[in-house]
Amino acid sequence: MTDVVRDVLRYTDFAIFAYFIALNSGYLALIVLAGLEFREHLRRMPFAGADDMFRSPLTLPVSVIVPAHNEGAGIVAAVQAMTALRYPRYEVVVVDDGSSDDTFERLRAQFDLVAVPRVVPSEIPYRSQVLSVHVARANPETLTVVRKTNGGKADALNVGINLARHPLVCMVDADSVLDPDALLSVAKPFGDDPLRVAACGGVVRIANGCKVVGGRVVDVRMPKPWLLRVQVVEYLRAFLMGRTGWSRLGGLVVISGAFGIFRRDLVVEVGGMDPDTIGEDAELVVRLHHHLRRRHADYRVIFVAEPVSWSEAPSRLRVLGRQRRRWHRGIAEILSKHRGMILNPRYGRIGLLALPYYVLFELLAPFVELAAVVLLPLGLWAGAVDVGFAWRFVLVAYGYGLLVSLVSLFIEEVSFHRYPRWSDIARGVAAALVENFGYRQVLAVWQAWGALGAWRGRKAVWGVMHREGFGGDLDSPEMVGVGRG
Amino acid sequence: MLHLFTVVIVILAGIVAVTAAGIVAVRLVRRTRERKRAELAARSRPALLAFVADNGEEGGDELVAIPEQAWRAAEPHALALLGKLRGEAHAGLVSVFLRRGTARTALGRLRSRSPVVRARAAQVLGDLELRQAVPELCRLLTDRHAEVRVVAVRSLGRIGDPAAAWSIIAGLDRSDSIPALLASHTLAQLGAEAEVTLSAALDHPQARVRAVCLDALGLLGATGSVDRIARLLREDTSVDVRVAAATNLGKMGTRGALEPLSAAVHSSRPTLLRAAAARALGDLGSPSAVPTLVALLDDETYQVAHEAAHALRRLGPAGLDALRDTVEADRSRAEAGGAGAHAQRSTAALHAEEALALARVLHEERVGAAR
Repeated sequence: MTDVVRDVLRYTDFAIFAYFIALNSGYLALIVLAGLEFREHLRRMPFAGADDMFRSPLTLPVSVIVPAHNEGAGIVAAVQAMTALRYPRYEVVVVDDGSSDDTFERLRAQFDLVAVPRVVPSEIPYRSQVLSVHVARANPETLTVVRKTNGGKADALNVGINLARHPLVCMVDADSVLDPDALLSVAKPFGDDPLRVAACGGVVRIANGCKVVGGRVVDVRMPKPWLLRVQVVEYLRAFLMGRTGWSRLGGLVVISGAFGIFRRDLVVEVGGMDPDTIGEDAELVVRLHHHLRRRHADYRVIFVAEPVSWSEAPSRLRVLGRQRRRWHRGIAEILSKHRGMILNPRYGRIGLLALPYYVLFELLAPFVELAAVVLLPLGLWAGAVDVGFAWRFVLVAYGYGLLVSLVSLFIEEVSFHRYPRWSDIARGVAAALVENFGYRQVLAVWQAWGALGAWRGRKAVWGVMHREGFGGDLDSPEMVGVGRG
Repeated sequence: MLHLFTVVIVILAGIVAVTAAGIVAVRLVRRTRERKRAELAARSRPALLAFVADNGEEGGDELVAIPEQAWRAAEPHALALLGKLRGEAHAGLVSVFLRRGTARTALGRLRSRSPVVRARAAQVLGDLELRQAVPELCRLLTDRHAEVRVVAVRSLGRIGDPAAAWSIIAGLDRSDSIPALLASHTLAQLGAEAEVTLSAALDHPQARVRAVCLDALGLLGATGSVDRIARLLREDTSVDVRVAAATNLGKMGTRGALEPLSAAVHSSRPTLLRAAAARALGDLGSPSAVPTLVALLDDETYQVAHEAAHALRRLGPAGLDALRDTVEADRSRAEAGGAGAHAQRSTAALHAEEALALARVLHEERVGAAR
């Protein structure tokens, strides 16, 4: 082996090391910002005025849109919880996107649905065919269920937005269980700053292992399987802390489709969800930024950290792989579609900070991770790096990652402390350590696979998302959460 | 280089260990503090509940005598109780707070440098419904922190002194104004005595101010202002104001609103206004609106036709008959054309069928509930 190859390997290994340091420093900065945000949020809680908002006759009404495809396992519990939220005026619109399971039958049996000949407007274009519209006999103005041919999640959301009667639309996944005050919290910024708030994302936490009673998470527990525990830590770090940090910086570009609320008029103005993008939730937010920045509008896209939407995380490796391939494919598609915004001063912090960060530390991260896995041993074998450097490299890179996760757990403990058991803390800390051995590397393979799929222009496949549901038996007063954690 | 790496690893390991220990320490400290606070609050709670149960007639002295630390632990519970009480019990508990110096302290804190402290103090004064605090709270409406202004507005609403109306209206007339919906609700909370001020503010040059006052007048059911509101519906330069005027005329439900609302649905008007006026005609409850609404059923704008159909549904028997007639006329036209069931349905008939179907379900729901 020539000296040139050795030098290339050596410098590449150093570059990868520098990348890991920069990546984790970025995470840490966002987490610290999130910590500051939580501190202010908690100090303001006593005078936040949630009760006043609940009592006001002028609080903006909300349409909660729930796209559902083969969600029979948990749909009834989820809709039950959604129709019992603490909010003065809202409707729930479930869009059954051509399910082949008993999603609709379960809803019909539980809510005594009756068909009504609704005229479906087409303010936003949609591709599928609406088969029928139903309302709950006991509560016709609160629950609507639409049956349509399969057209994908974005298309289902577009039908739901067309049928939404209220000025705010809240998109919620069918496998989600919302905290009773969740809608009040995500809608509140629209009441506080109605002229500027365009969209607001709510935090999504993992429901697996938690105790769910009557469609409510009543006892938060860390799930038993390590695959799920690792995801709990990951959600805390990336979703709760990361997005709160970006929100504080004014650079939030991702609002999870599992729980986000938007001004309906703006969503209609930008043409609704893009059915050709697999990450339609984030794409909508980036398109809103694009649209509003070009209009020189004074607007805000924000994130609220509490209360929360509880979601079922994949408990099987295969399903997790499909989910992460899809997520990363979504990032690749969005960044490619809106590449004109990247490093473009016209788009302010979004163009100059948020999107370049996503390119560098989200899109490319799995490729660098995999490069490290391959090139470090290669460097060792070629004699480009010595053993002393190699183990120190691994310890610093992964040790820093572990520290970032622990700081997330620390801030969670200081601020929301949703996991009450001592054992949950121990498991969280252990999961933060365990994720470095195998999980991150396998994740990188899936993510790289997803991005490559987008770049090659392969047809996106949603894939079957196996759901265990929240117990399903509605006659039972107590339903234990997914994963049987 | 390797030495540097080793140092970094040692430092990193130290920080990791400290962070892990920090998680445990935070939990221990929090739990200990919560336990202490719960114990202290538990000592005062029986006296507090007995006082409230006794309509505030006896036990006030005992509450005033509770040591400061224990009262601080019980105060959130007492303030929450205040919001739920009415009459003598409320007045009694307020007097306890006043005797303990809570209002005096809160008034002083309104001038604190910290926006959080100012907002908390404003909240407490609102909870106590302290009229003497109105001038100070009005001063906070120009605070440089939006959250302080918001809390001040809410507290003024809770106190309900109409003297605050102009200050709140002035708070709307600035670039970083108080939220419109909050202002409307607060102005309505000031009561019927504020109607004169609100009605006068309908001539304010700022469209936002006019729209807010319209919403407040609608909430108050200020029928004395119908003529002025109708004038805004006809003449205002802002569509938002005209939409607000239409909506609130519908809420007031007076006969004088029929003519201006019927004029507002004319096809030359903006869609938003036409839809709002159609909806308002349904809220008005007058069968005289039926012909106007029927004419809108085949409007080419979905929003207008949809609102007209549901307005007819809300009008009751006269509106429902008109909807049935529309469906029947469409059926007869199809049969006369020989197309029968396969005929293309008219927009009016589709909207009418939708409204009739919902009316049936709502009727069944009401019958079921009555049983």
